[in-house]
Amino acid sequence: MELFWAELKRSWTEFIRYPAEAIGGIIITTIVFYGLFLSARYMAGPAMQFGDRLDAVVVGYVLWTLTLFIISDISLNLQSEAQTGTLEQIFLSPFGPSRIFLVRALAGLTIRLTLITAILLILMGITGSRLQFPPALLLPLITNLMAGYGLAFIMGACALLFKRVQQLLGLFQFALLFVLATPIETWSTQLRVLGWMLPMIPSAGLLRDLMARGEALDWGVFALALANGTLYFALGMLVFRWAERQAKRRGMLGTY
Amino acid sequence: MLAEPDTPSAASSSPTPILDAADLCKFYRRDRKSVVAVDRVSLAIAPGEVLAFLGPNGAGKTTTIKMIAGLIRPDGGTVRIAGEDPHSNPLALRGIGAVLEGNRNLYWRLTALENLEYFGVLRGMKRRAARLQGMVLLDQFSLAEKKDALVRTFSRGMQQKLAIAVALVHSPNLLLLDEPTLGLDVEAGEHVKGLVQAIAAQGCAVLLTTHQLDVAEALSDRVAIIRQGKLVAQATTADLIRQFSDAAYRIEVEGEISPTQRQAIAALEASVWGNVVHYMGDASGLYQVFDILRPLPILQVAPDRPDLTDVFLKVVRSGTILG
Repeated sequence: MELFWAELKRSWTEFIRYPAEAIGGIIITTIVFYGLFLSARYMAGPAMQFGDRLDAVVVGYVLWTLTLFIISDISLNLQSEAQTGTLEQIFLSPFGPSRIFLVRALAGLTIRLTLITAILLILMGITGSRLQFPPALLLPLITNLMAGYGLAFIMGACALLFKRVQQLLGLFQFALLFVLATPIETWSTQLRVLGWMLPMIPSAGLLRDLMARGEALDWGVFALALANGTLYFALGMLVFRWAERQAKRRGMLGTY
Repeated sequence: MLAEPDTPSAASSSPTPILDAADLCKFYRRDRKSVVAVDRVSLAIAPGEVLAFLGPNGAGKTTTIKMIAGLIRPDGGTVRIAGEDPHSNPLALRGIGAVLEGNRNLYWRLTALENLEYFGVLRGMKRRAARLQGMVLLDQFSLAEKKDALVRTFSRGMQQKLAIAVALVHSPNLLLLDEPTLGLDVEAGEHVKGLVQAIAAQGCAVLLTTHQLDVAEALSDRVAIIRQGKLVAQATTADLIRQFSDAAYRIEVEGEISPTQRQAIAALEASVWGNVVHYMGDASGLYQVFDILRPLPILQVAPDRPDLTDVFLKVVRSGTILG
């Protein structure tokens, strides 16, 4: 917990240290959400479409941006640390890099979620619109994030070994768009089973059921989503730790 | 001729050295060939001791330091920090503080105190304790007035001092300093030297690499010299210098030394530079040199005490490798 608070403080301090950058980010996010509130759904860009209702559009947009943020967060963070010459100091910590980068990612997520919530609350106050989400929404959201963090650690592993991963991240975003936007729950049984093995698919399907179709949470599918999230998270951790050992064996931690 | 590398246990005055690295080896593959970076290097440092780890560029100093810090996995050998292996037990890293060369080691967007607090927690401290210890260190390092200043506004000297303070915030028992005075002006360099002495006096073992041999000579209790991945000398700094000065004399004469005299002197392990003779043999041979120089008036005879720079150059230029 001490580590989480320290990371939260560090991330927040670094975020607000350049006020123009921070305020610019907040203004852009506010404009996009304001656009969504004014029914300009195209503002959400290639967001997941969970239906036409404002609630669904907002959830789709938030989930899309959060997932993109999470997946690139760890690898970009690693790249930046290697560039600025603080990466090796992180590896000198008894907590170990995987725990530190996970806590750091959670701290980053907390800041982002807090900002988004604050912006949404202010906009609801200004426009008089109301957003309503079923509480069950949180469950597939968490499993979606778990799988997202798994992928983030795999990208982090690539950053440790290959140093620059921008091109790979671009490709990954494209694949992610396919994964999150494909209504796999409408596919035939065999294909659906195959689809469930892909990262985040069961969670995205559940979110569509809840938001667009107004269905109740299917606990069977949720169990699948949980297994999917756990599996990808564990896989990400394993790959990252393997990459850490490789980087130490090849003596390439500090290089950029 | 050269000081023989000590065994780790013999090297330290304490029976339980803080650092005990034995037979460290590292190979890299380049162009499908295996290149030896570090070959059976053993180092030990006792509490309060400063070991200067010297060698030319590319000799394997940084690779060795990073193997000790758990940042590079050795292909052979063992590392123990206060008896714990940092490669298998992450808790052993609590005993290490490091300032690595070529790295900033600090967050430039944070203030001095924020860096100390963050890195303290990263090393396992509570935030409050890290903050309090940070204040003590800032005071000790004459940076208290800069506690709320952003690191990016610091001079190179201040950044280096803060990096050392950050490395010490969790009170490690081993401090690794890779080129701590590189790029510092004279005043900042002297301040850092004083800090290293104070840190060692408080019982911290210090492993120091530097190309500034006057710094190494002033700070170190012992010296280890590495060349092409192999340790070629390890002894106390005083012993190493004494070994090279034991049988060396500087004889200054008045007048010109004739070619015949020069020839005779050269046959006696001595060399002539202008009107000065450097004699490397034993004391009895000294009188033979006097006889050769007769009747030139002798102005001065003095032990030819080399500094660490002379010793270092002789050791790294020598073809001998002692194991």
